[in-house]
Amino acid sequence: MKRNEFLDLLINPFTRIAGWQALMSGITVFALTIYIGFNGNAYFDGIIDMHFVENAVLKYSALSGIISLITLAVVMSIACTLVTKNFRFIDILGTMTLAKAPFLILAVVSLFVKMPALEQILQNPLILFTSVSFIVMLVTSIPVIIWTIILMYNGLKVSAGIKGIQLNVVFVTTLIVAEAISKTFIFILLKP
Amino acid sequence: MLPTYCPGCHAQLKVKCLKCESCQTEVSGNYELPTLALLSDNEQQFVLRFVKSSGSLKQMSSELKLSYPTVRNMLNDIISKIEGYETK
Repeated sequence: MKRNEFLDLLINPFTRIAGWQALMSGITVFALTIYIGFNGNAYFDGIIDMHFVENAVLKYSALSGIISLITLAVVMSIACTLVTKNFRFIDILGTMTLAKAPFLILAVVSLFVKMPALEQILQNPLILFTSVSFIVMLVTSIPVIIWTIILMYNGLKVSAGIKGIQLNVVFVTTLIVAEAISKTFIFILLKP
Repeated sequence: MLPTYCPGCHAQLKVKCLKCESCQTEVSGNYELPTLALLSDNEQQFVLRFVKSSGSLKQMSSELKLSYPTVRNMLNDIISKIEGYETK
């Protein structure tokens, strides 16, 4: 495989894989991410974010991940119906699920992160920057999040077939709205 | 590949003369190029493949090893291009 083809596959695999195929691959990676993240006390409970907790609960970890993913796909599909009729929900859901694959890297890194206790952080937030593993996590998370956003953008572009300013507006609006809605759903449905 | 645009000014070309290879008769005039001939070589190949697969984008996507929405987007681009030619 040529270098350009490999790069294309990394940032836009959706020209080759979408729909059910992307959904199945995405679910496999997503399940691994959730399980490994749970072992590292990390939740993937947002559209493009993760959080550390003291004692992770697998049920919360899985359900919050699923809620955020479905919310993203539904909000994105609703936004797409405003600009085109020519798309399938399964393509949006499949590409968005697979677009979250880079989070597997963060899940693996989370296994090695030792977060300072919450009380210590509240007393002195700068203590976070004395933790080497936290800094490694921070440095790793930036390219992973950028990669995920690029994948989501390309996933929407391929799935809905929209371009230019329409694509940018739908993408940015969807991310913001879906983040807000998923947080609300997670709070309402999964509150302890 | 049939040239469809003027290499000098990039305007759309028209057919001035057609020749019979059998009896050497030449038919001259000022004929419009067919819409499909205005498409690029790749686009014409796509249209041919689309017709041969009875319009099945699923079959085309597996033959081309591309995802279904990618093939559908390629078709949409060709439709937009054809509509553009027709409104000119």
